[in-house]
Amino acid sequence: MTGSRLLFVDDEEGFLELYRATFSREGYTVDTAAGVDDARGLLATGGIDLVVLDIRLGTSSGLALLREIKAADARLPVVLATAYARYQDDFSSWLADAYVVKSSDLGELKLAVARCLETAQ
Amino acid sequence: MNPAPPIEGGRPRARGRHPRERGPAPRTIRPGRVLDLLLHVSEVLDTVVDPEVAGWSVLVAFTAGEGLGFNRAFLLLAEGEELRGWFGVGPRTRDEARKVWTEMRGAGVLPLSRLREPDHAAIESEQRRHAATLAALSHAHSPECNSWRRAFIGRPNHPSACVRHWSAALESRDLAVVPLMAPGRPWGVVLADNFVTHAPIHRATLEAAETLAHYLRAALERTQLLQRLQGERRQRIVAEHATALLETARTLAHDLKNPLALAGGLARELVAAPPADRETLMRQLGIVAGAVSRAEQRVGELVEGLANRADGIALEPVEVGGLTDRVAAAFRPLAASRGVRLLCYHPARPVVAAAAAASLERCVENLIANAVEALSDRGGEVHVAAREEAPWVRIEVADNGQPLPAALRADPFAGGVTTHRGGSGLGLRSVRTLAEAMGGRVEYDEREPGWARFTVVLRRWS
Repeated sequence: MTGSRLLFVDDEEGFLELYRATFSREGYTVDTAAGVDDARGLLATGGIDLVVLDIRLGTSSGLALLREIKAADARLPVVLATAYARYQDDFSSWLADAYVVKSSDLGELKLAVARCLETAQ
Repeated sequence: MNPAPPIEGGRPRARGRHPRERGPAPRTIRPGRVLDLLLHVSEVLDTVVDPEVAGWSVLVAFTAGEGLGFNRAFLLLAEGEELRGWFGVGPRTRDEARKVWTEMRGAGVLPLSRLREPDHAAIESEQRRHAATLAALSHAHSPECNSWRRAFIGRPNHPSACVRHWSAALESRDLAVVPLMAPGRPWGVVLADNFVTHAPIHRATLEAAETLAHYLRAALERTQLLQRLQGERRQRIVAEHATALLETARTLAHDLKNPLALAGGLARELVAAPPADRETLMRQLGIVAGAVSRAEQRVGELVEGLANRADGIALEPVEVGGLTDRVAAAFRPLAASRGVRLLCYHPARPVVAAAAAASLERCVENLIANAVEALSDRGGEVHVAAREEAPWVRIEVADNGQPLPAALRADPFAGGVTTHRGGSGLGLRSVRTLAEAMGGRVEYDEREPGWARFTVVLRRWS
């Protein structure tokens, strides 16, 4: 749903730049966080419609943040975007609404974001 | 004491035979000597870990002049419905017997004295020499074999088809048949005869042969079990090695996939919607270029890492105490020049790890170099220790220099973090790569106040 506010959490600034450029052009409002603490701060301000979350965030775990987010608001959609396909077998990742393996083609991620937003409506 | 009479076809001793036909067989065997022989063989078998050595040891005791004195002996083991020739000792022909016995007599060789230090090359050679005979002896065991209890003398006209077959294969007129029985069926059989000397086989000799054969069975069962356990253990080490390799490949794949996904994604974005301002364009191009360089660097590391793993696949027993002593000795002049005391500790008995010697040396070199570097500004001590902690061997390198910087502490072996201590971090990463390639791991701790300790943990060799 264009116009929705998305929060991207990734410890790599390059990916945040990519998400900003791509999803802004799709009509979304894009917030970015380079770590768990920044993400918590932005989530606390409210108004986030969907979170796109990397699993490896430096020394922190995106899966731990996923549990926190879902404990606070089970309805807030979270998309896991990671280079690790194997985390799909980790039951912690099942809390997420979608799981996307990072790729240079963001088509799958765009589709997952759109579907999750639609479902959350 | 008078010897027991020959049994079942024992023949009167030949008089006036040619001296060259006087084999190693004793003419009689006294009970005291039998006990000495049995004690000696049982002591030898206690230390044997290899089935072939066990077979060879007992059959030598059958054939040695100071043993039971048979001219030759063979062991057959049951495999399904067949008794299959497995090991043989002794000459194959009369001519060979004369030659070998003359040589042994001339050299004063007492075969039993050789049992404590078996010659593996000779054992292999014996197996090859008798391969054809053993194949000829192999035979499906007939029902009457199932009722055998005691050793006996078999002749070419024996009612058992097995005995007739063996007598014919060996061209033997009086064949000592020593059966080893599992419940209701043969487990194996030892065959022995005096095909050159035609010396009679006495009951006492046959009884001693029975006891030796039982020793052999016990030793074979133990050594075969041990061998199977060792095989399974090696398979487990290989499996652990493969798991470590897979885990590293996954990590490397992630490290490679991330920058490629980023570079490709941004490049697509630049094509789809080129930024209007030059500053954004240059920044995004810079990110693409940086990501491609990172991917290139990861590929290089992957190639190096795989090469290390290929080296590490061949694990062998490596005595760790001696290895750490050698590496530390090489570093001692450098350490001394920097005011660093380098001390080595390990038990007096050998500490043996399953490792690749060259890879382990590189690990220890890297860790000692790292420790000496950490102390170079102010001096101090480096302790290198090797110890067993079953089923592991731990090789520790500890120094009382500065602790690791916070950036390295979370994962000191990740590499890529440049600090004074640890240099580029590639040395420590290399240690991890090599340790994992050997089916082991590395650890870092500061549990002893003032000391930083790196430990390579490898499987103990057994």
